[in-house]
Amino acid sequence: MHASGFDRTRPLLLLVMAAAALGGFALGHPGIVSTQNLDSMAVFGIEIGMIALGQTLVICGGDTGIDLSVGAIAGLAQVILGRLLHLDLAWPVAIGMTLLAGLVLGGINAVAISWFRIPPIIATLATLFGYQGLALVLTGGINIDLTHESPLFLAIGQGHVLGLPLQLVALYLPLLAAFAFLQHGTRFGRALYLAGTNDRAADLAGLRASRIRAATYVLCGLVSTIAGIVGAARLGTARPDAAGEANLISIAIVVLGGTGIFGGTGSVIGTALATVVIGIVDYGLSYNDFNPIYQAGVIGVILIGVILVENPFVAWRDSRRTNGA
Amino acid sequence: MSERVATVIKPVLASRRRLPAGREVLLLATLAVLVGLISLGSHGAFWSRVNLDNLFVGSAITVIPAIGMTVVILTGGIDVSTGSVLGLTAAIGGTCFAAGWSLAATVPIFLASGAVLGLINALLIINGRIPPVIATLGTLSIYRMLVFIVLGSNWITAIPPALTTIFVVDHLLFLPVVAVIALVFLIGAALFLRHFRWGRHVYALGNNEEAARLAGIRPERIKLAAYVMLGLLTGFAALLTLGQSPMVQTSTGSGFVLQVIAAVVLGGTALSGGRGTMLGTLLGTLVVQVVDDGIVLLRIQPFWGGVALGAVILAAIGLSAHHEIRGA
Amino acid sequence: MSRVELAGIAKRFGGVVALAGVDLAIAPGETHALLGENGAGKSTLIRVLTGAIVPDDGEIRVDGGVRRFAHPKDARAAGIAAVYQEPMIYPHLSVLENIFAGNEITLRGGMIRKAAMAERVRPWFARLDLSDDLLDRPMGRLSLGYQQLVLIAKALTQEARVIIFDEPTSILSQSETDRLFAIIRRLREDGRAIVYITHRLDEIGKIADRVTVLTDGRVTGAARADELDETKLLALMAGKASRNYGKPRPDRKPATETPPAFEIKGLCRGNLYRDVDWSVPAGRVTGVYGLVGSGRSEVALAAFGALPPDRGEIRLNGARIAPRDPAEAIARGIGYLPEDRKSQGIFATKPLEANLTASALFRFVHAASRLDFGGLRGEAARLIGRYRIKARDETIAIGTLSGGNQQKALFARWAGQSMKLLILDEPTRGIDIGTKDEIHDFIRELAASGLPVVVISSDLPEVLAVSDRVIVMRRGRVVTVAEGDAMHAEAILAAAVGTHARAA
Repeated sequence: MHASGFDRTRPLLLLVMAAAALGGFALGHPGIVSTQNLDSMAVFGIEIGMIALGQTLVICGGDTGIDLSVGAIAGLAQVILGRLLHLDLAWPVAIGMTLLAGLVLGGINAVAISWFRIPPIIATLATLFGYQGLALVLTGGINIDLTHESPLFLAIGQGHVLGLPLQLVALYLPLLAAFAFLQHGTRFGRALYLAGTNDRAADLAGLRASRIRAATYVLCGLVSTIAGIVGAARLGTARPDAAGEANLISIAIVVLGGTGIFGGTGSVIGTALATVVIGIVDYGLSYNDFNPIYQAGVIGVILIGVILVENPFVAWRDSRRTNGA
Repeated sequence: MSERVATVIKPVLASRRRLPAGREVLLLATLAVLVGLISLGSHGAFWSRVNLDNLFVGSAITVIPAIGMTVVILTGGIDVSTGSVLGLTAAIGGTCFAAGWSLAATVPIFLASGAVLGLINALLIINGRIPPVIATLGTLSIYRMLVFIVLGSNWITAIPPALTTIFVVDHLLFLPVVAVIALVFLIGAALFLRHFRWGRHVYALGNNEEAARLAGIRPERIKLAAYVMLGLLTGFAALLTLGQSPMVQTSTGSGFVLQVIAAVVLGGTALSGGRGTMLGTLLGTLVVQVVDDGIVLLRIQPFWGGVALGAVILAAIGLSAHHEIRGA
Repeated sequence: MSRVELAGIAKRFGGVVALAGVDLAIAPGETHALLGENGAGKSTLIRVLTGAIVPDDGEIRVDGGVRRFAHPKDARAAGIAAVYQEPMIYPHLSVLENIFAGNEITLRGGMIRKAAMAERVRPWFARLDLSDDLLDRPMGRLSLGYQQLVLIAKALTQEARVIIFDEPTSILSQSETDRLFAIIRRLREDGRAIVYITHRLDEIGKIADRVTVLTDGRVTGAARADELDETKLLALMAGKASRNYGKPRPDRKPATETPPAFEIKGLCRGNLYRDVDWSVPAGRVTGVYGLVGSGRSEVALAAFGALPPDRGEIRLNGARIAPRDPAEAIARGIGYLPEDRKSQGIFATKPLEANLTASALFRFVHAASRLDFGGLRGEAARLIGRYRIKARDETIAIGTLSGGNQQKALFARWAGQSMKLLILDEPTRGIDIGTKDEIHDFIRELAASGLPVVVISSDLPEVLAVSDRVIVMRRGRVVTVAEGDAMHAEAILAAAVGTHARAA
């Protein structure tokens, strides 16, 4: 077993599910497996996929870690970006400032949780209200039109590289690689797993558990901000409620990807695979003209279904292991 | 969390610990300050009959599910699907109204469908062994999907006016009927939790599940009852929501659960279970509602409501969390 | 006739035999001590007796009649109650509610009759010299000693005729222990049967009438307490009569004249400890002996940055230090082996390798902060070999190892690094005697290599076995420092307990 306690069953299960979902849709509509559709599938999943990367680290850090404010951060980031662009700032400057703002928003969560010791679910519930409210205040509840901004900026959400979506190649995959390295290859990642497994033991081993966790909230705020920026560029508009359901869906993806809700286990790799499954299901449903709300419903079914199927299996396997010992 | 250092040295410190400042006192003070500021800023409009009635109706609709949520959290669980349960029961009940059913015939439909949805949550958590957050996160999405299936793309507006008349317009003891009902429920729940065997078992379970099991308490039954009760109360709240604004749409109830959890947690109920009171939940609900109300009365841009609510939660919980570290 | 009799009780968990046919008879008016190493089957036996688990085989007889305990309620109805080592309490409920949880006195509708419950408890509170004011206090705010007394009152309220004490004194101060013993004697005189589980041999003579020793799920010895002395008991427990355990180490070194490597002066914190001075020379093992609550662990935590002091100074190799957290203390060369292995030490589900290297990660970092996994595995393999940790390999989850091997791994985590000071808090608590001896040898080797080592322990034989000198603490103060000939059991115990009469 790897130090992460990363289980191989779940990634396999996810791959099978992805193949089955794609196959299933292809049976009904053979046309779905076209380059253009796969492209749209990727674009669909990327923003929530980025947020899920940050959510993975937060949940992995344990101590009831969870970030409910991710969607609100993405929305507020879009709005901040939109306002800055409308101030006629150059778009790279505006993005730079928005990223800084994202760090601050994540930092507020980190301070509330690590310094003031507010339970994460409450702290991020409060900042969810706060950030959502600020986004509405900044826009007056009206979407900010960005379609006339620099084409270079819009390319962040609409461009292509080597026939693949730009945000996939230039943002998501590098972020995934960076997070995977951070989680599995660095001292920080090792400390994160240990802190998530036993908070006090980590402190007494000199690992500074609460600082490590604080960093995960800041990172989570940052990727949520990036997701918000990509979304704004993709649709050419900044909406305060852009990622309203992102908190629940990102948590669902993380858990589906094999990260235990109690911390100390899991991997962003599993999260990425789960994102693929969700992306295919999402797109397949909308391709078949289902209302977007069905996507959330199907995610719910998959989430509960996977755990219900897996629980007895894991219990059976563990009992065999104990008997063998 | 706050006990990191404290648990290292717990054997020594467990003695002579001072009482933490009562959350109820803190909330009462907050409420008094808020009400004072708002009545000054609104030149007394806060105390108008209409405003108070609105405030009480809104509080009642939040506090009724909050009673159930408090019990669920006391057992150490949580239910994030409450908003979808409200939406789905409203859709089911609304469909009955639209089909011409009478009020009397439909009320049991609201209650029963709420209870069934709560039961599904309970079974997933207890028999399916899925952590409560995850299980109800799943049903949150599933129930919402079902709202769409039930409603299609329609809105239901064929709500019997009698519903509004009976629960919202009519008064009893100077309060709208819903508020009286909510108070009766609250007092009943408080008495039940405090003075009845099952109520004490809820606390025992939330304090130490293993010890409770060994003492012959059956945690599964209590949890089952708690989630079903929450579903039932949410079904009732769905009915009242239609009395407040007679329309069902696909988004009915979304965002509602965050209000309910915020009120319960603000009221001092610990998410780890075993600690919390109905009085706290009432005060927490009132603070949430008064903040909302004040935003309207003071003609502040309504979007500040979320910011203010977030700030109040952070301040209240942050203060007492900090206090517990110091006091421990 | 025996009050409770167990005949041929057997229990397996998966492939592991926990109890292999245990016979035990407990008579009324008798205190029956149950001895055995961790894993010998004591806790399983207690769980069988209290109905928490159902045995695979065997019979339980109460007053001669065969009973089957399918649930703790059944055992309670038969008059059997246990006072657990880690009190099973409901911290936010009142004392009265704790006593009646699951067993409330109610009206027909389920309404609780608080007055009736208080009425039922009062005589027992009086018998235990407890004030009625306690009844409304939240249980979590009582000291552990009082919590235990409340649990005894609970057992009495349930009309228990057999009361099981599971290592009751491990969490008590000396005065609380004395009071507990007085109460146990009183209960015995009432004609109740007492089962008393302990690790502490010195308690046997004080409290027990009969002794039964469990080893590997079997009864391997039984005797009347007055026929036994410590040597015979140890022989019974270890199965070897020749063990020379608890005697002072033969190679004890005299104090050095050189200035101390680690020094604490005038350290104070609230009511935990006051004016504490420790002087720890290099190349020696300094024992710190004191009962739980004497402040010994808290002083160590202060030096380790986990619980900063209010006042006083800490010096390491002459330089004044004031670590704000353990990470800083470690960076300065201080290692601390925590007393509670499970909650403060191990990462149970993580591989042995991650557990061994948790506090040395900074030594295995490449460029771009990449971890050197090869180096980590190599280090883990080295430590496993060096400290003879019995494990398949370094990838196995530490939680699956035996307690002794877990403890060795935690010891290796610190001993394997070049630290400037090691503080070992209860380094061998709850592990088997063989591993205990091994760890004692490792501790001596560390000191022989020139390291200052502090061994904190409430196990007097252990302190005598490993230390060159002993600091004795009582109620937050250093009461004596024993060296050379002054280091004998009676004097140290007397200082720790506060009765100087016996020391003379």
